[in-house]
Amino acid sequence: MSIRRSFLAFAPSALWLVGCGAASVNSSSKALDPDWQNDAGASIAQVEQRLHSLPRVANARVAVGVSDAGLLASSLDGKSRWTYSGHPTSAPLIAGALVIFSEGDQIVALDAATGSKSWSIGNRGLSLRGAANDGSLSALVLADSHKSLFLGVSRAGTTLGSVESKADLGVPAARGGVAFVPWSSQYVSALDINSGDENGRLLARVQVSQALNFGGDLYFGEQGLLRFDEKARFASTNQANHVGLPKVELPGKPSWLGSGLVNPLSQANARTKIRIFAAPVASPSGEVTLGAGTFAASYFRVVFGLDSKSGALRWVRALPADIVGGAAASSGFVLCDVNGKVWSLDRAGADVTAFELGGKIRMCSADAGADEVPGAPARSGLAVQIGEALDNLEPTMAEAERYLVSELGKLEDPIVTKSLIDLSSSPRVPPDLRLETRRLLALRKNGTEYMLSALARHYDFVSGVLLPPPVGPLADALAASAETRAAPLLAKHLNDPANSADDVAHAARALTKLATPAEYDDLRTFFALYRATADDEALVAAVVACAEALLRVGGADARALVERAAQDPLTQNDVRRALPAVLAKSANTGTAQAATH
Amino acid sequence: MPKLAVIGLCAATLALPNAVAFAAPASKPPAHATLNLDSTKKALESGDEAQVLAALDEIEKLADRRAAPLVEALLGRGANSKLLLRAIAVAGALAAPSSSSALAPYVKHRAPEVRRAAAQSLARTKGSVAISALRDALRSNDPALRGTAAEGLGVLGANEAVPDLFVVLPKEVPEAAGAIGVLCRADECQRFVGLLGKLPFDVMESGFLPLLLRTDAAAPDAAKLHLIEQLRRMATQKSGALLASALASYPTNGNPKIRAAIDAAIHGRPVTSTSTEP
Repeated sequence: MSIRRSFLAFAPSALWLVGCGAASVNSSSKALDPDWQNDAGASIAQVEQRLHSLPRVANARVAVGVSDAGLLASSLDGKSRWTYSGHPTSAPLIAGALVIFSEGDQIVALDAATGSKSWSIGNRGLSLRGAANDGSLSALVLADSHKSLFLGVSRAGTTLGSVESKADLGVPAARGGVAFVPWSSQYVSALDINSGDENGRLLARVQVSQALNFGGDLYFGEQGLLRFDEKARFASTNQANHVGLPKVELPGKPSWLGSGLVNPLSQANARTKIRIFAAPVASPSGEVTLGAGTFAASYFRVVFGLDSKSGALRWVRALPADIVGGAAASSGFVLCDVNGKVWSLDRAGADVTAFELGGKIRMCSADAGADEVPGAPARSGLAVQIGEALDNLEPTMAEAERYLVSELGKLEDPIVTKSLIDLSSSPRVPPDLRLETRRLLALRKNGTEYMLSALARHYDFVSGVLLPPPVGPLADALAASAETRAAPLLAKHLNDPANSADDVAHAARALTKLATPAEYDDLRTFFALYRATADDEALVAAVVACAEALLRVGGADARALVERAAQDPLTQNDVRRALPAVLAKSANTGTAQAATH
Repeated sequence: MPKLAVIGLCAATLALPNAVAFAAPASKPPAHATLNLDSTKKALESGDEAQVLAALDEIEKLADRRAAPLVEALLGRGANSKLLLRAIAVAGALAAPSSSSALAPYVKHRAPEVRRAAAQSLARTKGSVAISALRDALRSNDPALRGTAAEGLGVLGANEAVPDLFVVLPKEVPEAAGAIGVLCRADECQRFVGLLGKLPFDVMESGFLPLLLRTDAAAPDAAKLHLIEQLRRMATQKSGALLASALASYPTNGNPKIRAAIDAAIHGRPVTSTSTEP
């Protein structure tokens, strides 16, 4: 690996010539030396100790959207806005008080508060990968597929230390004149921004390609984060303060930080809209958790709030437009949608504020700092939220719908039963998802009143009820709870041809348990209509179950009816074959009951 | 003129697709023909398809309403589709009001052909049970059954079904127009005429002729005049043909001013909407 280090103090315009020409100053320094020997955390501990007492420098609390015309930005309170006309080729990176991005062959830094240009320097033919700022100095990582370049930049825009490497450098963070640069998936080198000298190195036993500034604290990682504090020296033995996300299957398989070895483009892609937003927060003891116990995942225009320990769904919102960026605060979230609206949601997903950036955007960067998004009035329960979100989603959002339905089934709230009934009866719900809602509905053990109310409905072209209720699952659930109030309603559904044969079979099966003599007429009608015309398996099963119910509640009349059907050559063959067993079972039951009495 | 006669007339004129299904009961059997009820009952209960079919044929042929309870009993016991269709048709042919109760459940049979046959027969067996069953059928998810039910409700004079007929009319149940034309009263007729221009002419057409030819007081002349003028203004081949049919079929006891208005419209003269009520 060729390593070249230069200490440059030239004007930005001269940098390109110097950096690319033979005049660059090569050093024998061992910065980013791959042959480095593990020092058991000694060097990084020294760096930490030196920086420990320095004041934290948080990134600016802004949201910056990329539009076709340039950048649209606003402070997170919505009070201060600016625009930048141009054509950024990278995502805008919020670094301390700067917004840094690439444009043409330049790396441009704007004042995050005003949008005025702070500096710009040549990009040396490389793409911007990451940027950081310690409140004064900036650290850039530029890269292409062949090499990476660390570059220090002064407040005025003059270039400082630089280190070129064939190793893939990740996204840097900065503090107190030191840049923390991840590389080789396991190292974080502490480089002096002024000189490029390596002052210390952290060896991690987890994947590391990003160094990040969350509210002034620095973290390193990729899938999880370890905190840069006095325990960082133990990273090589996995004893540093660390936080990760619980394992959870989410729609679109969103990632949190992702690889820091990818140059962030200004063009959106599917991943722009499918992301995880989580902020590490350290307790005074150093233990790191995710902001207020919650993290958020976006899937196009849906945002899920999840428990940071279990991954369980805590809340859900369907926003009006796709989410194209945002940030987690120490409690709550800031999210930008494609219409340029910036939403501040509290930890429960409730609206706190919302403001417009002033135009449509294709992506957005934000930094919420260490501040908390204040709490908003409580939202309705999760079951209702899921129902509302599902009502809002288009059929193309099937993956989100499936996830929400599955979460719905886990909830005990009786209102879930109503939501599942509504979903099972909605023509907007895709057929495969409707099957799942029906499966979950059949397992419900509460919400009986909703079930009975649903069963009272029938397909009605005049009234515009164009889907029958989910009779089968309701029959199963109500039979399981021995709910006899369901009997007359189920009996009516036997003779409604709008119900599927399968639903009718379940209703008949439930009536073997729930029917009373009051349902005799409906049972008899069904038996008469189908004992000789049942033309599929489900209908045959329904007729046989109906015979069983008749024998249970209909006395001698019913017995005569079924016996006659069992002998009638016109009775459908499968039905006729099954009836003797039903009659025998009924006779045995009657004998047993008589003996008991 | 009774409404049924009007429908029959209109059906003949406009060749309604289901006109045959709703035709009057079979003519009386020859005087010498008698049905042996005992043997017929035995055949119907035999469980033998051929015997049952033969018995049903015999009942229909002799049109002996005394056999209606036997057919009703067969329907009450149930049978295979072939026998059911035959029994339903025979019950309709006998047109015994008592058969409506036995036919009614079959309007909700899962086999489309069975329920449609039942709806057609109910229009012949009549009675409140038949009306109730056909009103239910109007709510069905079977488009053909809805059409049959709408026609049947018109035949049965089910005025109480008019609000539902208005609901289904724009929802691809054009048969509802024919029924509304027969059944509408006062404002309902005005509302029906008011739909011309909002709904396609083809959807509305089957209700216009019955309305124009009605002589009962419930069908207001103002609505008819409004309709005639609307048809004149349309000045299409179809509207002209409809007016011509109306004039040709206009009942002798009809209001002469309506006849005159139809005649005027055919000749392109405007029709005033002033009252023509006697």
